[in-house]
Amino acid sequence: MEAFVTAVEGSAINEWVLGSAWAWPIMEIFHFLGLSLLLGSLLVIDLRMAGYFRQINVVATHKLLPWVFIGFGVNLITGFLFLMGDPARYTANIGFWWKMFLVLIAGLNALWFWIKINPVMPSWEPHADTPGLAKVIAWVSLGTWFGVLLLGRLIPYIGTG
Amino acid sequence: MFEWLETTPPAIWVGESLWGYPIMLGCHAVGLAIVVGIFLMRDLRLIGLVQGISYESLDSLRNLAWTGFVINAVSGCFLFTSQATVFIESTPFLLKISMIFLAAICAAIIQNKLRDAASQWDSTGAVAGSVRTIAMASTALWIGAIISGRLVAYL
Repeated sequence: MEAFVTAVEGSAINEWVLGSAWAWPIMEIFHFLGLSLLLGSLLVIDLRMAGYFRQINVVATHKLLPWVFIGFGVNLITGFLFLMGDPARYTANIGFWWKMFLVLIAGLNALWFWIKINPVMPSWEPHADTPGLAKVIAWVSLGTWFGVLLLGRLIPYIGTG
Repeated sequence: MFEWLETTPPAIWVGESLWGYPIMLGCHAVGLAIVVGIFLMRDLRLIGLVQGISYESLDSLRNLAWTGFVINAVSGCFLFTSQATVFIESTPFLLKISMIFLAAICAAIIQNKLRDAASQWDSTGAVAGSVRTIAMASTALWIGAIISGRLVAYL
């Protein structure tokens, strides 16, 4: 990890992030907008997939998936830039590593959704209850992403473990 | 008055205890994701950037969004008390509160329209022009609230 920190510090991208007083707050603003899109679209998709809000057509919630990817993409880019800007602080922070671990779990859970749920979802009754497996995947998704949100917000207050 | 607010028990709990501030900040992040997230999804549907979900069914998300709103009103009050004299003179903070107030009015107008008229809208087409305009204003106001909220820490 020390080698990583040494490699990043003083690199062009590191200096670009630290070079302007405005880069950091602008990146934070985009990170917050990205999380609103990501969590907002996932709340609708996952809560419906967990069996709530049955007035909403469960198959139609698929139309929100592009906003999941836009939100995630924005936060992947801005998050990467935060790491490049201050590698020593993030890699020494236990909250950061827990956050990355939860992102990984959320990613594997999304893959599980893609393999098991996505192919059969179009045949579901639009306004009916959902299968047990879909509910499990939905709650894992909400649990991990809200965990990611909390850990991310609290990184400045969590120690080096 | 704002000096007095900073000496009240909740202000001291937020400002001086080990967990008060992080707990309230954590709640504020969760509430933000819920209220801004859900209202943005509703707006994107009304603007036409999301298709397929019926307008009538959007109204069922109303209570969830307002739950996020209340979480943030409460946690926001706690956070405010800890540094009331600073926040009350911060331009980005006052801008943020004004924009949230206007966005809440937009939400109230939109939910009345959804309840009264959504069943008559063509679900494959666009919504009535005025609702679309309010949805666009709402989107801009929530984005503005996030921008100014972040800038409270910098300006």
